[in-house]
Amino acid sequence: MISSTFVSGKGPWYVFDPRAKLILIILLCVEVFLPVPLWGIYLLFALAFVSLFQAVGLRMSFSPFKAIGLIIFIMVLFIPFTHRTGTPIIVIGKTVLATQDSLLQFATHTGRFITITYLTTLFVWTTRMNDILLTFRWFSLPYSAALVITLTFRFIPFIAETFTRIQEAHSLRQSEHSQSKGWNALFDILPTISCTLIFALKSIPHLAMSLEHRGFGSSVKRSSYRSLSRGASLFTHLLICGMIATTFALLIIL
Amino acid sequence: MDKNENRIALKVALIAILTALTTVFTIVVRVPTPIKGYISLCDVVIVFSAYLFGPWTALITGGLGTAIADVIGGYSQWAPFSFLIHGLQGAVIGLIAKKASKSGVVSDASLLSVIGAGLLGTVIMVGGYFFVGGLFYGFEPAATEIPMNLIQAIVGVVLGIAVTKTVRKAYPPVRFLTW
Repeated sequence: MISSTFVSGKGPWYVFDPRAKLILIILLCVEVFLPVPLWGIYLLFALAFVSLFQAVGLRMSFSPFKAIGLIIFIMVLFIPFTHRTGTPIIVIGKTVLATQDSLLQFATHTGRFITITYLTTLFVWTTRMNDILLTFRWFSLPYSAALVITLTFRFIPFIAETFTRIQEAHSLRQSEHSQSKGWNALFDILPTISCTLIFALKSIPHLAMSLEHRGFGSSVKRSSYRSLSRGASLFTHLLICGMIATTFALLIIL
Repeated sequence: MDKNENRIALKVALIAILTALTTVFTIVVRVPTPIKGYISLCDVVIVFSAYLFGPWTALITGGLGTAIADVIGGYSQWAPFSFLIHGLQGAVIGLIAKKASKSGVVSDASLLSVIGAGLLGTVIMVGGYFFVGGLFYGFEPAATEIPMNLIQAIVGVVLGIAVTKTVRKAYPPVRFLTW
């Protein structure tokens, strides 16, 4: 199981300071929900798409669509049932399938959704998980919370593998119920879930002991997270990101 | 090292493992439903955490575990909302179970109160995703997700209660892990 979201590539998004990048992404995501003209939303989407394309290549840049394709399809299906007012655009017989208002609403919602999807994808694909964690630390995330996230990522593959192994072991011992479907399938998984939980819970005392050995909880700290630099590059990157967010906001206002 | 320091390490270890479990049960463990769909079992771990370890543990592990799952699974736009919705779901379930327990220990709460808490948690989860979905892509399309979210949450409550009972019997030392 892959528990990292970083996709290696090239371009300015990989060079940008993660702190500046995070602030920019949050600002742009908020700006999309302001009373933005439709062209503004799609301009931002185009910028996000081009940035992703430039960073990870054409094939990868289309993959976020796979994650949101179904919901966009459902949105298309619901066009005839939303906003019945306005000038009819698509009419079959006496049935109005789409009005100007409903199409405008669909375009706005779709634009917002895909823009936010691409902006957040851009951030998590072009920033290493370590840098994301250090960014949160820089924004005053407590040491214990950062440690919890680090340990979580360390244990995700281990627990996923444990679950698969337990499931395989249980499937060997099942007889008629092994191919059960419907609601039975839900209850057949119960022993596997219980075993996985117990297996994971048993590792807690050992993990706690390991943490104590490394000095966690002690008044004398033996280890800590490194800090991201506070150099001139951070200021420059923050300035650039601020300028991008302000330019987009001004475009909307004007 | 005094007892308090020992408990801090235990708390961090417990929360990290439960968060990892929530993430794995969200991404990896998917169960086919009779209506040709799949549901994730994250709610099982959230109910389990709330019922066995209390509201604060469920708040952190439920919220963080599902948010990490969203980021890993390619749905990073949902991560902050999953953190809030599932975190609140776990906290409410744990809080009600704790209030309903005479001894003040969450896992001693009566079955009826746990079911009631689970149902309220279900309302929070389903309502929360409907509201956020409505903001993202309109309330009519968001309403189509209600049935699957409802099934997922109810299955989570039923399996969560069953799993909690099983784990308490099969692994009695679990009571030493509570805080």
